[in-house]
Amino acid sequence: MAAIDEYITTIIDRGAYEAHADGSAAVEAHHLLLAIAAGPESPAHQVLASAGLDRDAIRDALDREFEHSLSAAGVSLAAFDLPRPSKAAERPSHLGASARLALERGFASIPRRRDLRPAHLLLGILEAQVGTVPRALTLAGADRAALVTQVRQALAEDGGTP
Amino acid sequence: MSGAEISVSHEPADALAAVAALRRLADQIEDAAVEQAMRAGWSWPQVAEALGVTRQAVHKKHAKRLIAAGVSLRRR
Repeated sequence: MAAIDEYITTIIDRGAYEAHADGSAAVEAHHLLLAIAAGPESPAHQVLASAGLDRDAIRDALDREFEHSLSAAGVSLAAFDLPRPSKAAERPSHLGASARLALERGFASIPRRRDLRPAHLLLGILEAQVGTVPRALTLAGADRAALVTQVRQALAEDGGTP
Repeated sequence: MSGAEISVSHEPADALAAVAALRRLADQIEDAAVEQAMRAGWSWPQVAEALGVTRQAVHKKHAKRLIAAGVSLRRR
């Protein structure tokens, strides 16, 4: 297996772990972002780390985004006091709409499949202008546009297609 | 009356994100509430009727998880 395929498999596997822990039936883009932040050393991982976005910081931002979005509808998460449900028997294997869009965007930025680098995956996630990921990044005080620029720079230095 | 103060944000991005978050919250509450009911000895048809869905739908969505969690399930 090519190194990039191995990387993508690793990220999707770790994303499935995050989705399972989240009680989500599908792997979404924000689970892939958590996976990249938690995952193997790569230029993509470095861009996140240098912005202070490690796995726990992103998890915290996602939790705040959830609460913040619920509050827009006048709902308080603290108002629900049910016991935590048991996790699904198996990890989800299905990629949700946001994860598929992120992969499509990542793949669309390169002319040939063999030009694909780990950073393209992060680029595909960061290029979403609406949805959970950009909202969580804003709440974390991160500059999404600056992150995109840094990923493109990392790709250029890596000899990839930015 | 404090209940009347609840208002949905007029910003489309916030309102759409609220819909996504509410769906997620509804799923979480459903997982917790169905598990709680089944642990308390409710039957699938009762849980289904209380949720307003078919018995097949609720069984398909929750049976595997609850069996794996060791919840003893009533057949009827």
